[in-house]
Amino acid sequence: MASSSHTVAKTTDQINFTFTGGQKLLFGVLMLIGVICSALAFFNDPADEAINLHHSRFWTNFLHNSAFFGGLGFISLFLLCCKILAYSGWHTTFKRIWEAMMMFLPVSIVFFAILAIGNFAGFHHIYHWAAEGVTDPNNKEAYDSILAGKAPFLNPLMYLIFTVVIVLVWSAFAFILRARSKAEDKAKDGELSFFKKNKVLAAIFLPIGGFSSAAFIWLLLMSIDSHWYSTMYAWYVTASWLVSAVAFTILLLVYLKSKGYFPQVTKEHMHDLGKYLFGFSVFWTYLWFSQFMLIWYANVGEETVYFDLRIEEYPFLFYGNLVINFALPFIVLLANSTKRMTGTLVLVASLVFFGHWMDFFQMVKPGVYYENYKHLKHSHGHDGHHDEHHDTDTHLSDAHNHDAQAEGDDHSHAAVGGDHKGDNHDGHSKKAKSSRVGYAFPGFIEIGMMLGWLGLFLFVVFSGLARAQLVPTNDPYINESMHHHV
Amino acid sequence: MSAVVSPVREPLVTGSKTYHQITEDICAPTERMPGFSFMLGMLFSLLMLGFGAFCMVWTIWKGIGSWDLNRTIGWGWDITNFVWWVGIGHAGTLISAILLLFRQKWRTGVNRAAEAMTIFAVMCAAVFPGIHMGRIWVSFFIFPYPNTRGPLWVNFNSPLLWDVFAISTYFTVSLLFWYTGLVPDLATVRDRASGMRKKIYSIASFGWTGAAKHWSRWESLSLILAGMATPLVLSVHTIVSFDFATSVIPGWHTTIFPPYFVAGAIFSGFAMVQTLMLIARKVLKLEDYITIAHIESMNKVILLTGTIVGVAYLTELFIAWYSGYVYEQFAFYNRAVGIYWWSYLAMMSCNVLSPQIFWFKKARRSVVITFIMSILVNIGMWFERFVIIATTLARDYLPSSWSYYSPTWVEVGDYIFTFGLFFTLFLIFTRVAPVVAIAEIKSILKSGGDQYVGFEAERKKKEALESGEYASQH
Repeated sequence: MASSSHTVAKTTDQINFTFTGGQKLLFGVLMLIGVICSALAFFNDPADEAINLHHSRFWTNFLHNSAFFGGLGFISLFLLCCKILAYSGWHTTFKRIWEAMMMFLPVSIVFFAILAIGNFAGFHHIYHWAAEGVTDPNNKEAYDSILAGKAPFLNPLMYLIFTVVIVLVWSAFAFILRARSKAEDKAKDGELSFFKKNKVLAAIFLPIGGFSSAAFIWLLLMSIDSHWYSTMYAWYVTASWLVSAVAFTILLLVYLKSKGYFPQVTKEHMHDLGKYLFGFSVFWTYLWFSQFMLIWYANVGEETVYFDLRIEEYPFLFYGNLVINFALPFIVLLANSTKRMTGTLVLVASLVFFGHWMDFFQMVKPGVYYENYKHLKHSHGHDGHHDEHHDTDTHLSDAHNHDAQAEGDDHSHAAVGGDHKGDNHDGHSKKAKSSRVGYAFPGFIEIGMMLGWLGLFLFVVFSGLARAQLVPTNDPYINESMHHHV
Repeated sequence: MSAVVSPVREPLVTGSKTYHQITEDICAPTERMPGFSFMLGMLFSLLMLGFGAFCMVWTIWKGIGSWDLNRTIGWGWDITNFVWWVGIGHAGTLISAILLLFRQKWRTGVNRAAEAMTIFAVMCAAVFPGIHMGRIWVSFFIFPYPNTRGPLWVNFNSPLLWDVFAISTYFTVSLLFWYTGLVPDLATVRDRASGMRKKIYSIASFGWTGAAKHWSRWESLSLILAGMATPLVLSVHTIVSFDFATSVIPGWHTTIFPPYFVAGAIFSGFAMVQTLMLIARKVLKLEDYITIAHIESMNKVILLTGTIVGVAYLTELFIAWYSGYVYEQFAFYNRAVGIYWWSYLAMMSCNVLSPQIFWFKKARRSVVITFIMSILVNIGMWFERFVIIATTLARDYLPSSWSYYSPTWVEVGDYIFTFGLFFTLFLIFTRVAPVVAIAEIKSILKSGGDQYVGFEAERKKKEALESGEYASQH
């Protein structure tokens, strides 16, 4: 053991990472695509007003990608802190990847700040609770008693605190953690002070991260469907980030290995990451199922409205979510051998990464579109759009009656979805008719904007990797990690 | 397993043990006459079991009218105890299966006893739904099988039935897992025994010879059982949580219940493991195998799961307000400051506040504090279930049927019965089987023994290397 420090040096010839011009160009192009698609989304003027009311196509994509990629930063920090506290050793040789990923947190503050300021200034209409007059009882048109009740939490100031300020706090933790980890490289052999200090830091971060991320998620994502609530939601979103982060790690590692970096990362490490991808995918499914099943079984209108909207109007996303994010990793990665095949692992990781991006898509889009649609219907009166939506209405009310019959009479309070809503309408008849690109499923613009964010994310990660040793040679666990066997 | 171990890891076997010493130390309690403390413990357990058995007979003879359940509060101590015991029965399989997957070597010191505890706890849990049925002699009606009762069939839509499946599956797999692990160790005891003991252990160890083929099959079987046990750990308490969460009762119907119940179950399970192991390691002289490092690790798990449970409590409370749904808001208002406010207070202080003491290393490594904490956590987790069940039911939709519930002496006696059963079985276990997994401890000796790993061992090795002895030894 004592004699093995030379093996570290020998197996890590490529101890420093170079961020090449070609990579920079590629990420620049991706970001450019993102900017162009953002502009297209912003000025897009489709035939149906609802689809881009208040430029919502652009804004929902903006929120969607900010939440998804920002979350990757958060979960990397969270994962590192967990690993530090759990005395995990095997990941040490590639821990710099997570240290680089968490550096996206400070960058994502800009996006959250734009969204937060938007709530004050009203330049986006993602959140119905931020709309004018919803909490004002004198405003007969817009007043919503439920939202008025939630106003102490759902307001622009809270949003600012729990997105921008909290991400700022997370970033501070990320900076300190990374700085100490880097300082350890330069320290003398066997120096443990940085290791010990980071252990304390990780212990402080975990409860802070655990509590604050819930509020962050409620405001950022759950409040889009502003009446709806689920206690599971925050954990569900966190699990989605976790799977995406593991998938991204696998993809990045395979790419870097192909460039000659990380020769010491072997099939054993990939096997363990494959187990993570498998295990966390199953965990995500567990949370998905628990949330869905309990709401479906209890059949309370205030809660079922969320899934009803998604099943009826977004079936492709709703079922696709389960196929890509559960069935695929479960079936493919169940066997031992597939986790050790690079090609298979890359295929599954790519699909799952995209699948969880789609999961965020279905968290963001339906609520906003639904609200847009209601808004238009309000301002145009009921007659204007009646014919166009006749089919949907009949279909939905049929399904509804069927449910009510099956349930019997004792569930009368659940019979009408959202019957206590302040704006006093039947939730079902307002439902949007969709299967429209950009809302019911991602179109080129959505993919383009995602590529933009991906380019930026990769740029941040690669510059993070370039600014530190690729392998933490002085980490007390480095030898364990070098000799890792499953 | 990797032979390279970072010196920052604390040794898991102290006292520079050899393989032979491990066998001697762990087999010893099964080979000597039980001491005074054991007899005292056994006597006490049997007294509880005896009084409890009397109360059980009373319950069955008189019917559950002898309890204080009423029209409003249909579930009381019975289901509270049931959920509490099932929860405790989570630590064993978590340690043996999930910690195995996460390669936590410290599990080897406590897995055997924790698994045994799991099995006994699940048996205690099963008692309560059984007697709650009132007519226990027809309890076989809960199993779905072709019968002559015409259309009388189990309700597949009911989470209570899913419970039957989940718990019986969990019990079976846990038992198999535990026994599979025991086989090589029972053979070790057999090889050292003579006479009647030898015959009994021969049968119990299934003719184990320790051949390579045996070990290979044993490894495969353990892995398969671990794979099956892992989702089961999650599923059992998830389904127990469904008993409540699938309803439309405010305070019960909340989506966070499944993972939060599982976290709470692990929390209470580890607390019970601490309670038992702190005594067992002392009485059976196993301090070298269940070290302070083990206790500290378990305290960390207690801190973690206690805080997860805390996050869930606060989430529930917050979302109840956030929902804007007056019944939900009332349910939680009633929980915190209603007639049963004291049970909510007990739950919050024992489960969320008190484990925070484990942020301090001194507290995590103190046997006394750990023991007190393990009792507090078990009390707190009992109150959690009581809060969820009785508090919620006491204030239903119809104020005219609001009620109050406190147990009769029979209900208390039924609870004592399970304590008697649990401790009696556990005490017998410590006498007939190796309390620590001998084979598994041996497998981590080279990577966890204090003569091989840790700063002290590194220092000695360095000295030996410098003086030239190391080369001649290795």
